[in-house]
Amino acid sequence: MSSKSQLVVVGAGPGGYAAAFLAADMGMEVTLIDKRENPGGTCLYVGCIPSKAYLHVAKLLNEAKEAHNWGVDFGEPKIDIDKMRAFKEKVVAQNTGGTGQLVKQRKINYIQGTATFINSNTVKVEKVDGGTEEVSFEHSILATGSVPAYIPGLSIDSPLVMDSTGALELENIPNRLLVIGGGVIGMELGSVYAALGSKVTVVELMPSLLPGADKDLVNTFQKSIEPKFEKILLKTKVAKLEDAGKVLKVKLEGEGLEETELEFDKALISIGRSPVTKNLGLENTKVKLTERGFVEVNEKCQTDDPKIYAIGDIIKGPMLAHKASAEGKVAVEAIAGHKVAFEPAAIPGVVYTDPEVAWVGLTETEAKEKGIKVEVARFPWAASGRARTMDRSDGITKLILEPETERVLGVGIVGPGAGELIAEGTLAIEMAATAKDVALTIHAHPTLSETVMETAEVFFGQATHLYRPKRK
Amino acid sequence: MAFEFKLPELGENIEQADIVKVLVKVGDSVEVDQILLEIETDKATVEVPAEKSGTVKSVNAKDGDTVKVGSVIFTFDEENGTESIQETPKEEPKLEVVEPKAEVKKEENKQNEEQQSGGIIEFKLPELGENIESADVTKVLVKADDKVEKDQVLLEIETDKATVEVPAEFSGVVKEVKIKEGEKAKVGSVVLVIESGKSTAKQETTIEKPAKTVESVKEEKITTPKPDVTKQLVTPNESVDVARKKSFATKIAPAAPTVRRFAREIGVDINEVSGSGPAGRISIDDVKKFAKSFNEKLRSGGAGMPIGIKREALPDFSKWGKINKEPMSNVRKKTAEHLSYAWATIPHVTQFDKADITDIENLRKQFAKKAEVAGGKLTVTAILLKVIAAALKVFPQFNASVDMDNKEIIFKNYFNIGVAVDTEKGLIVPVIKDVDKKNILQLSAELAEISTKARDKKITLEDLQGGCFSISNLGGIGGTAFTPIVNSPEVAILGVSRGSFEQVYKNGEFVPRMMLPLSLSYDHRIIDGADAARFIRWVVNALEQPFLLTLEG
Repeated sequence: MSSKSQLVVVGAGPGGYAAAFLAADMGMEVTLIDKRENPGGTCLYVGCIPSKAYLHVAKLLNEAKEAHNWGVDFGEPKIDIDKMRAFKEKVVAQNTGGTGQLVKQRKINYIQGTATFINSNTVKVEKVDGGTEEVSFEHSILATGSVPAYIPGLSIDSPLVMDSTGALELENIPNRLLVIGGGVIGMELGSVYAALGSKVTVVELMPSLLPGADKDLVNTFQKSIEPKFEKILLKTKVAKLEDAGKVLKVKLEGEGLEETELEFDKALISIGRSPVTKNLGLENTKVKLTERGFVEVNEKCQTDDPKIYAIGDIIKGPMLAHKASAEGKVAVEAIAGHKVAFEPAAIPGVVYTDPEVAWVGLTETEAKEKGIKVEVARFPWAASGRARTMDRSDGITKLILEPETERVLGVGIVGPGAGELIAEGTLAIEMAATAKDVALTIHAHPTLSETVMETAEVFFGQATHLYRPKRK
Repeated sequence: MAFEFKLPELGENIEQADIVKVLVKVGDSVEVDQILLEIETDKATVEVPAEKSGTVKSVNAKDGDTVKVGSVIFTFDEENGTESIQETPKEEPKLEVVEPKAEVKKEENKQNEEQQSGGIIEFKLPELGENIESADVTKVLVKADDKVEKDQVLLEIETDKATVEVPAEFSGVVKEVKIKEGEKAKVGSVVLVIESGKSTAKQETTIEKPAKTVESVKEEKITTPKPDVTKQLVTPNESVDVARKKSFATKIAPAAPTVRRFAREIGVDINEVSGSGPAGRISIDDVKKFAKSFNEKLRSGGAGMPIGIKREALPDFSKWGKINKEPMSNVRKKTAEHLSYAWATIPHVTQFDKADITDIENLRKQFAKKAEVAGGKLTVTAILLKVIAAALKVFPQFNASVDMDNKEIIFKNYFNIGVAVDTEKGLIVPVIKDVDKKNILQLSAELAEISTKARDKKITLEDLQGGCFSISNLGGIGGTAFTPIVNSPEVAILGVSRGSFEQVYKNGEFVPRMMLPLSLSYDHRIIDGADAARFIRWVVNALEQPFLLTLEG
């Protein structure tokens, strides 16, 4: 069977489906191909969405525990992981069912299967329900996403070793869990298991958790979460991981370790993700890959094959759903002949732990590396009335500003709700707002968002709820 | 280890670019992000920064070349900072005398002490005037080890507008000459390194890497005996910082997403637009304004072309005989651009008249001695200066400028008059200030002085600015009339041709009278024909009846 389509989108994650939906809304004939039943990809099925469902539960568990400080004792929680998993699955089903609906409403030709490129204008789809179909296209958008990175020696084939997808299955609550990799995924899923009662040890190769985030944010974050974890081992490497039947035998290497040989009931490998660009038949097109397997694109997300575009985790930049969606829209507009480019001033990054960590735009670390002169203003949440009412002073809001123009170049926040608060920072950066703009914008009281305003006030040396002796 | 620098990808569908400027040369050491090239594509002018630091080993392109994306433009040697220092002691026995001194200097710098011996001062090319960023070095008048006194002329440079002599701001000994004749120097770039004689001399306050300064001083001493080997930095250190800052600034222009999208849609590089809002924030209007001015420039076909007219291609003149080519001097270029602009934008009309200057000529001869004593020469031009200043008071619309953007006429309450001077380098127009406040003797003296200055290339930019009206006197050469071009943004100019005796019917008979032909060109946008006729009549009458000057002027 063969058919024709104006636009073929390969991969229906948040990048692919956003692109397909926009293209359909703009009047294009669109074919969207994905191996899953509905659009959603990693994000909706085994990433952002299910992990957030669990993190919601984890936060509740933590707060319930804290509640005795506020005069309420819930006692020991009873955890039914089957029900918890079912809740997650319901969330996933609702979301993916929703995207499935949207596909139908937009009259998009959704093919459940795996596509390979035969040439620069045809894909062959191995359908999930059997049979193949060739679809020729005028344009195509590659949006195949990423999978958990595989590390030889660590990624052993054992039921006790999980990747993020496995961890979300929530088979059981292991007594002792080893999290390899203290990045976003490791810290989020590690937090979930810790809240459920696992003794979680995090091993990170780098000298700090959440590589990429500023030191001051990470320090505050770490201080706050450390009591919930068994151990956080930095500058440490897993030298050996061995399935010894019922337990995992682990050998660690690193500075100042008390013990180097440990036993765990399960391990989560969260050391990053790899782009999916193999076995797609890209060799039959002019699409070029980098050494690390990413697709090379120009500012319009166009590959070296002018009819084929690529977006999301398979191209340069952070592997984030919202970045992929934005790119998908740029690619579609470019295909429609509009003069567009993917040129955001800022892409926010959020870690949905408790407290959350979020940053956007220029970080202090990056400024230092690049030799960019900046001024930094910080506001500790201890001075926030709203944070106090939540018994949560473990937060900081900071602004990174251009000294001459006082323009907001970056924003960093740690604290509950940081992921929501960062939106204001992103808008400020995109609109080229100055510290004065932020300081003069009235923020509702009492809210955590006020801390953004007060940070700007700190920059000018006078913040209502923070006293600083005058600088000479 | 050597590496190659290729012209990077410049954007979609751009395969080649014209090199506007190669900013480094063989032997230069280059730091990451330092701008190496200025190139121009169909779409924009782009600065190309270095990706790695190193020493330029070869340059395979020159200004004006068209190069393909991916072609090798430079080869570099990877930097090895310490090498040159270690080698130096062996090189030349002559160095022995200077070497210890350099060593001492290094120690001093290391300890950050400012000793009585005075400091090494980087002499930077000073501000030359508004909008002037660089200048051609026409002469370097000092060399290393020369003693210089404060105010001694060190360099002769040529800007778009004039040749300027650059004097020393302090006395001392020249340690290093960082520029050669024929090179371009940027304002603010280090052109000389001088060791000042006095400890109180102004110290360069921002010496970030004192050791480096010493190093370069040392290197210079070594290379002085063989000047042909001397390869110096064209680009001063601070330009690196500027470049780096710029490269970040260009990354995220202070413009909202809608504004950036709009700019892209109409084909404007947002990074080239300057914003009018706080923190340089760019609005849609700023982008439109930029596009408009860009289009106007484009439509005019480049420098010196009238709006709406495209430059015609020149035929190959050598087909018909021998030719030779010569680059335009900066003065010539500026003159060409400026006069084309004036000619194209100002609706010119020229009004002719003749003045009977028989009587004033007699007076002029009578008082010539007085002017000589005062240091000038009592010329017709000197007298005309006074007459015109008086006329401008009577006819203020001749002492005005047109602001078409704001639809305004700007009237000036000062009386500065430019006098066209014919120099070796071409036409320049020095301005005599406050003519109304000076008597004719003072004006004669000043006119003599400024003409000499102009011919000797000693004129300063200030001497050329601020004029309200111009006089061009070609009478010394001859001619009966001509149509001068108004020196925009002025609105009128008086051309003077050669006076001669003519038969004039006066009091019932023909008598020989000395008649001076005058040509008044004016900007018809704000000056009506009748006013121009009145103006020139007033000038003629004032020349015939000098009493008018005190009566009305």
